[in-house]
Amino acid sequence: MIELLGLEEKTYTLNLGPQHPSTHGVLRVLLEMDGEFITQAEPVIGYGHRGHEHMAENRNYAQFLPNLGRVDYLHALAYNQCYCMAVEKLLGLTVPERGEYIRVITNELNRISSHLLWFGAYLLDLGAFTPIMYCFDDREHILDLLDRITGSRLTYCFYRFGGVPMDIDDDFVAGCRAFAKRLRSRWSDYDNLVTKNVIFINRARDVGLITRDQCVKYGITGPTLRGSGISYDLRKSEPYSAYPEFNFEIPIGTRGDIFDRYLVRLAEMEQSLRIIEQACDKLPNGPIMAEKVPKRIKPAVGEVYQGVETARGEFGMYVVSQGDVKPYRIKLRTPSFANLSLFPELAVDTLVADLVAILGSIDVVIPEIDR
Amino acid sequence: MLKDNLQKALASLGLEKVAEGDYAKTGYHLEVTAEPTQMVDVAQAMLDAGCFLESFTAVDMVEAFDLVYHFASFDELCRTAVHVPLGKKKGMYTISQIYPGADWYEREVFDLFGIHFFNHPNLKRLLLPEDADFHPLLKDFGAGQGND
Repeated sequence: MIELLGLEEKTYTLNLGPQHPSTHGVLRVLLEMDGEFITQAEPVIGYGHRGHEHMAENRNYAQFLPNLGRVDYLHALAYNQCYCMAVEKLLGLTVPERGEYIRVITNELNRISSHLLWFGAYLLDLGAFTPIMYCFDDREHILDLLDRITGSRLTYCFYRFGGVPMDIDDDFVAGCRAFAKRLRSRWSDYDNLVTKNVIFINRARDVGLITRDQCVKYGITGPTLRGSGISYDLRKSEPYSAYPEFNFEIPIGTRGDIFDRYLVRLAEMEQSLRIIEQACDKLPNGPIMAEKVPKRIKPAVGEVYQGVETARGEFGMYVVSQGDVKPYRIKLRTPSFANLSLFPELAVDTLVADLVAILGSIDVVIPEIDR
Repeated sequence: MLKDNLQKALASLGLEKVAEGDYAKTGYHLEVTAEPTQMVDVAQAMLDAGCFLESFTAVDMVEAFDLVYHFASFDELCRTAVHVPLGKKKGMYTISQIYPGADWYEREVFDLFGIHFFNHPNLKRLLLPEDADFHPLLKDFGAGQGND
């Protein structure tokens, strides 16, 4: 047919983004297409680059704290925590137990809200409109809870070097318990609506397979890694804060496809609820801030690498101090950056519709990639 | 144990420093210093031991660059920091043929510091626009500079 029409057999370039709704922000993907199949995909990033690492070198330690809530706006508290822990290590500060518990509770609430947003937005990508209505309804309860103690609803800046600035009260604890009960009662709705939905299963099973070898070579972390059956979660693998004191499991997948990553995230929300409930039960009394936090943060010469588990994987901070009031260098190792760099390999030989499904399943937050 | 195996594997490469790190203070189990020409062998040894590249970046030490590679493992808690001192106006060897994930990290360092990577398959700016003519993480680049 091609010969009859006198056409040449060749590929063409298709531009996806930077404002395509399914790219979750300003990500652009240049696709080389052979008919409906992708032969090459190249993500073009940097549209949201704000120079956070450069800003860090131009302000003092405390002034950089609000920046962290804007790197990954969906799990801002984990980023807060990582930075605070890195500076606490440099200063040799120990956070009081109650402070650590408050950090864990708020952090896990934030993780659930991030997963809920992913759940809704991802299914929206796949053409299912209803789920986002359910999960935003649930997510609203978390935002209200966190709003009460942090004062913000999205870009939290709540932790301080040495602890947390605000204590939680009985109403907050009761609110957490009520929320856990509510969200548990919703799992069956979620399952009936999505997990058992044959349209979703057919789009997600055996699509976007990620192997162990790829995970090692690209440094994949988070639910994207655990979907491939590797049990690596820094809350267990490199225990920090108060996490060793709680019973929880690390859900993992078996095949490494989209459906496994979906199941891992759903199961993780349940585990976060368990952590929150245990923390509420065991909440110790006492101070929430370390004593003797220096007014002027000026760590001695040295360097530190601190990692935490965010909703998308390992966030690491490499902080170099030259004994000044300003950090000498801060590197933000963000999970989506590494996870997205695998994407060109996953996209080859798939359809555009699958590409959207794969991109959403690795749950990228673009400002975190661009920094 | 992974740490002992890594120490053994790295000892045969004749590196400047392979020492135990102070984990409580820095978060490192192993601290390594290598020459730029040795980095490809170091990366291969890390991959053979099953480690993944956690992070890679540079620090502008004014007289020279300090390149910092962080490796970790999915199976065992063992973080290795590899420091590679690199003179200004010198190039570095890519490790992207061993760790494809290093491709973007190296492009970012090229973009923000202007360090060239030999044998890199696709060395172009990653975060800044293609026509930018500055490298913002160099210490002589002040706040507010650049062609906005």
